[in-house]
Amino acid sequence: MSNPFREDLVSRNRPEPCTVVIFGATGDLTHRKLIPALYNLAVDGELPTGVNIIGFARREKTDEEFRLGLEQLNRKVSRNGHDEEVWNPFINSVSYHQSEFTDAAGYTSLAKRLDEIDAERGGKGNRLFYIASAPEFFDDILLHLKKAGLNEAKAGCWARVIVEKPFGTDLKTAQHLNQVVNQTFHEADTYRIDHYLGKETAQNLMVLRFANAIFEPLWNSKHISHIQITCAENLGMEGGRGGYYEKSGALRDMVQNHLLQLLSLVAMEPPTDLSADGVRDEKVKVIRSLRQWDTPEKVAENVIRAQYTAGHVDGNPVPGYREEDRVSPTSETEAYVAVRLLIDTWRWSGVPFYIRMGKRLPKKSTEISVHFKDAPSVLFGALPGGVPGGNVLVIRIQPDEGISLRMVSKIPGTSLRLEPVKMDFHYATSFGKGSPEAYERLILDAMAGDATLFARRDEVEEAWRFIDHIERAWHESDNKPPMAEFIAGSWGPREADDMIQKDGNTWRRL
Amino acid sequence: MFLTTPNSEMSSNFPASCPELGIEVPISAIDLELRKLWEQDEARTNASLMNLVVYSEKSGSLLENSRIINDLTRDNACRAILVEIDREEAASLRAWITAHCHLSHGQKSVCCEQISFRLTGRVPGRFRNTVFAHLNSDLPLIFWWQGELSDVFTERLASVMDRLIVDSSLWREPQISFTRIIEELKVNPALVVQDLAWTRCWQFRVGIASLFDDAVAQPALESMDQIRIKHSPSDRNTALQLMAWLAVQAGWKPSGNSTFETKTGRKIHAQIESCADSAPLGLVELSAGKTIVRVSHEKDSVHLLREIESGDYHVTSLSPADPESSPDLVAQQLSRGGKNSLFLKILPTFLELLGSK
Repeated sequence: MSNPFREDLVSRNRPEPCTVVIFGATGDLTHRKLIPALYNLAVDGELPTGVNIIGFARREKTDEEFRLGLEQLNRKVSRNGHDEEVWNPFINSVSYHQSEFTDAAGYTSLAKRLDEIDAERGGKGNRLFYIASAPEFFDDILLHLKKAGLNEAKAGCWARVIVEKPFGTDLKTAQHLNQVVNQTFHEADTYRIDHYLGKETAQNLMVLRFANAIFEPLWNSKHISHIQITCAENLGMEGGRGGYYEKSGALRDMVQNHLLQLLSLVAMEPPTDLSADGVRDEKVKVIRSLRQWDTPEKVAENVIRAQYTAGHVDGNPVPGYREEDRVSPTSETEAYVAVRLLIDTWRWSGVPFYIRMGKRLPKKSTEISVHFKDAPSVLFGALPGGVPGGNVLVIRIQPDEGISLRMVSKIPGTSLRLEPVKMDFHYATSFGKGSPEAYERLILDAMAGDATLFARRDEVEEAWRFIDHIERAWHESDNKPPMAEFIAGSWGPREADDMIQKDGNTWRRL
Repeated sequence: MFLTTPNSEMSSNFPASCPELGIEVPISAIDLELRKLWEQDEARTNASLMNLVVYSEKSGSLLENSRIINDLTRDNACRAILVEIDREEAASLRAWITAHCHLSHGQKSVCCEQISFRLTGRVPGRFRNTVFAHLNSDLPLIFWWQGELSDVFTERLASVMDRLIVDSSLWREPQISFTRIIEELKVNPALVVQDLAWTRCWQFRVGIASLFDDAVAQPALESMDQIRIKHSPSDRNTALQLMAWLAVQAGWKPSGNSTFETKTGRKIHAQIESCADSAPLGLVELSAGKTIVRVSHEKDSVHLLREIESGDYHVTSLSPADPESSPDLVAQQLSRGGKNSLFLKILPTFLELLGSK
């Protein structure tokens, strides 16, 4: 039965009341992101009435202890501050369920608890399972949910699962996890979260490309010289991150998911519609069309990995990667990676895409820059200094979200001199109201059954297929490409500059 | 920061000097003086997403509206054009320019230009020609008409607007004013009309819609038998618009004597109460036997209470209350942007309800 009062009210799918079960409820993600996101949705009146939240984790805690911990962090990190009047009823809908992830009895009692909540609703209830635990428990949680019958929705209701990253550590583990997920939940009910896709500018990419008639005719190999995607971080391995990072590295931690997702949004064909599968069908074609760097030689030529040595960031001395906390002194994990990619499609034939991601770079910044080909130089080429650079469209993902376009202009005066100028659009300047956090949008989408901003099984697996060749060349081949070095606080290794310069390009200065 | 430019045209009931509005400038030099403003300080960013014209025929409105624009521009970058008209005085025309600057996210100083006009006397065409010569080209024109629609509101004036914001709760004869707007919409269907009385019930509508997503509440819609709406005396239009929205969305037809008829011929009793101590909208309650769906707002509270009661089942949640003042409602309307097709959809039923008493 439809709800007539929803019609024409808001231009988004309708989030439905449900019970959210968070696995890994005592973890940092739950405290810093998930609960504040749900609370901020409540503050904005976006959270459906009747949402219950159950935190599932191993530690012994009472409801009160769990709630107190959530409140302490919410006060620090909530986007909308902390309003007791909203928090009190909100937190009363939150309870704690203690169990080992591997203990079947814990899921049986969870099922009982969910049935009790459903009984209050006349036997009906939607369920959203959020797996935010350590990845080694993903299988156990999914299999136990199935055993307890929690994967099956009651008539007229739904049961969905959100799975946090990392979604596997290579193609094999991702395929295995996908199998387990799909044996438990239907693919349509599976939401593989990539919080980059919940960011305002990432969502604006499709609007920019397909709602403005001026860009799409130029969005191809005829007019674009190359595209760069940069994710720079000035942090290193503070707060014990080294332990996690040693197992993943820059390529698996950021490129396989976030940056390839951004790449697919930039490079995809216009979807037939805005449905989740309409968009994801086009995104996966991009990943599938990536030329594979499937030998150590190709990897050496097109991928640069590096570690930072001791240097200065923000004026402060910082250690080298191998001297960081919880990092092996003989580590072979990359803290920087630059990849040259080619997309073998009609549209992108011959256009290199460059992705670079690094820790301990001079500043924090994520952006996409589209570098257009130079205008023919017949008119201004003979001027002293020629024509300065081509047009560059920059889409800033974070911080300072916005879009800028560089173009060439005449310097005022009697002589003809050209200089680049920049048209700049800042979200924060034009729209004073802050954007919701990515997790707010994504959780609401999952409650509404809209998977557009979540990765589909084939996207994840195709991305791993590409990444696996590189990882194998680095770690398993007899002819391993070398690990480069750069001084912390610089913009990466010389080898990455050399790689891009072979195409006649340079990294954009951020 | 400002250069002062004396103006020989002074009108009688208005202060000779008005520093709150910035510097007074000759009409012919507005653009020049605005450019000078920006040249004086390179650290400031000029931002604008729209032209916002604020029109009033109330004496002293310029100063009040300048303060409103100072707040509005925190979240809505615009070129603001304030207009005060007094047609009873002798003909004169004065203009002032200033900029409202705010720190954006604690970093950059972002500024919005404001041009204020005071026009007196009756000079046909002068208002339109003067004001519209100073719009930022290519940006949409949002026209906030404060108070009653007067005969200054003409088809030629409306034809240049993208959005017209009015507050029907301030109108003595809303039916006449709405008729004029409907006539205008026939000529200019692209015009988006936004009534702040309608904006005032936004969170109530969101709340009702959200409550009927609930598996317990949703089936009750089929057997709804009573609706209660409580409002403050000055907000009857908001209450009637909300009633019209419920009826139009649910497919009920007004059938006289405070009743509606469903598609199946069932009668629903509607009760709309005016209470002096109510919030603008104090309560909307839909009942179907033992199931009650309710959104309520205690006066001065910043939250609405959403509730479903059905036997032992009782769920509640809070949501933000709609702002009450016109400036806050305009800010909310501007931040939501866009079309207003739902308002046009309910307008005929609203007018029917408006005329039924």
